[in-house]
Amino acid sequence: MALLEVQQLRAGYGPIEVLKGISLQVDKGEIVAIIGANGAGKTTTLMTLSGIVPVRGGSILFDGQDITRLPAYQIVSRGLAQSPEGRKIFPRLTVLENLEMGAFTRNDPQGVQADIEKAYHYFPILKQRAKQAGGTLSGGEQQMLAIARALMSRPKLLLLDEPSLGLAPMIVLKIFEVIRELNRDGVAVLLVEQNARMALKLAHRGYVLETGSITMSDRAETMLNDPRVKAAYLGE
Amino acid sequence: MRNAKLPISWEMLAVAAALLYPLVPAVDDFLFRLTHWRFGFVMPTIFILAILALALNVVVGYAGLLHLGIAGFFGIGAYVTGILTVPAYPFGCSFWLAVLASTLVATAFGIVLSAPLLRLRGDYFALVTLGFGLAVMYSIRNLEEITAGTKSLNPVPPPELLPPFGQLFEAVGWGTDWASEYRLFYYLTLAFLLGTILLLRNLERSSLGRAWVALREDELAATCMGLNAARLKLAAFALSAALAGMAGSLYAIKLGSTADPLAYDFNRSVTMLCCLILGGLGNRNGVLLGVALILGYDNLLAPILDDVQRALGEQSGWKKIVLYPFTLLMSTKGKLMMFGLVLILMMRYRPEGLLPSSRVREEMHEGDPAPHTLPRKE
Repeated sequence: MALLEVQQLRAGYGPIEVLKGISLQVDKGEIVAIIGANGAGKTTTLMTLSGIVPVRGGSILFDGQDITRLPAYQIVSRGLAQSPEGRKIFPRLTVLENLEMGAFTRNDPQGVQADIEKAYHYFPILKQRAKQAGGTLSGGEQQMLAIARALMSRPKLLLLDEPSLGLAPMIVLKIFEVIRELNRDGVAVLLVEQNARMALKLAHRGYVLETGSITMSDRAETMLNDPRVKAAYLGE
Repeated sequence: MRNAKLPISWEMLAVAAALLYPLVPAVDDFLFRLTHWRFGFVMPTIFILAILALALNVVVGYAGLLHLGIAGFFGIGAYVTGILTVPAYPFGCSFWLAVLASTLVATAFGIVLSAPLLRLRGDYFALVTLGFGLAVMYSIRNLEEITAGTKSLNPVPPPELLPPFGQLFEAVGWGTDWASEYRLFYYLTLAFLLGTILLLRNLERSSLGRAWVALREDELAATCMGLNAARLKLAAFALSAALAGMAGSLYAIKLGSTADPLAYDFNRSVTMLCCLILGGLGNRNGVLLGVALILGYDNLLAPILDDVQRALGEQSGWKKIVLYPFTLLMSTKGKLMMFGLVLILMMRYRPEGLLPSSRVREEMHEGDPAPHTLPRKE
């Protein structure tokens, strides 16, 4: 059953139209990857879903409800959270405070406490760093913190924008492993990546976004073997 | 983290000193003999302006928005109290009612002004607050039918002493006349200041306080966390307006008049901002230190040096040659120059202020072992 259903979504900045009517779907329990080149509109897609970039046309159905015109803060409390590109952690708040900010929309202190423990379970390094300022973490740790922070709102769907950006391959593997674990625990994931091979290996399904339009969608394994995808995005 | 307990004890020490000062008349008498100024009469004004500085700190220090019109809310508070209490108007409200009404009216102005303000960022936000402050000042000056213009509304009556206090003060041998017994205003304004400090201290530790910090750090990320940026800014602005209005009300009551409209001009806003910057933006204790230094200098030290300088002017000999230029620079005549010099030096060597909050310090020194974040991709 569809958790997220996007129909003919259009969005842009000023005179520039970035998304020219894209449709996509994420089912419960799924990992879906959107791959594409620079400027294709991947980040804009996630920002529009989160309510930060205004919708110009089309509709977004989430968990059976229309969230097309909802402001960002209401979308988060409906269960759709984003870990934005470039991590965007709060560098001068401690790791623990960063996590608490992620739970801002909630008011069940015991539940939040339990979820902080859960975040430490997924990313043990964060527990060691709990009292440290977020900005003193390494790039990989910051990415872990950004994901853990997004999880603190107990999302049904997690949007991840370029989680591999600027990280060493070993760290990327580790982070993707946790994403898989999260998914097994029931969180659906919509992933935007330039690292197409890694993303498609992780995902169940994939979409290719080219200059604001979806040009291909298929099962991830099929896409990995598709000659066009191979030529354009996998460098083979 | 050496001696992590120290700041708390300093805090307590300062509070204790402020509470005990009037109980030891010898201190005030000694300062009077030394300077011919009654410190106890000036302190309440400084306490009131400290509330104003803390009010400004909510918007500038916590939420990170440049606010150049705090004096406008201060003026609104003063004039609401004036209208509600002076004999020229039929209201004749009591002290408590006047303070409450001033606070509420200033809050209402803050909320109304927020509507256009919250759509603006950075410089534009600052410009609108600047315009608002000036608009209030010119309105007060020119709406003579309501505000009596430059003649000001007066007399604003002093508060009635609540029964237990009146008897208490008589029992310990203090006067109950507000004009001659400085301790009355001293403790009244100190109580309001301590109340404000407690309120803000709790707020800083609440989720609202943390949300303001997050908003200042990264608005986009904060929005992704489900923070309602507009509502948070509105809360900061309204709280700041409320406290400034309350301070304005106390100011009018302390002076016994709403003062010349120029008391609420741009200068006032900027002076308050300087207190914040000198002391340490975002840090409550830093702000109070800034107030003590700048306003203590402005209201006490400079006038005292004026007297010294006048006395020296009539003398001759080495004392005059050595001390005269120094006192001239430090007195009211030279104070703006000193003030400018100190600010320039501060900005160059210690932009985070004397007692910075740890977070602001990291923002100000980019070269230091600082937060390492990924450069933006674009």
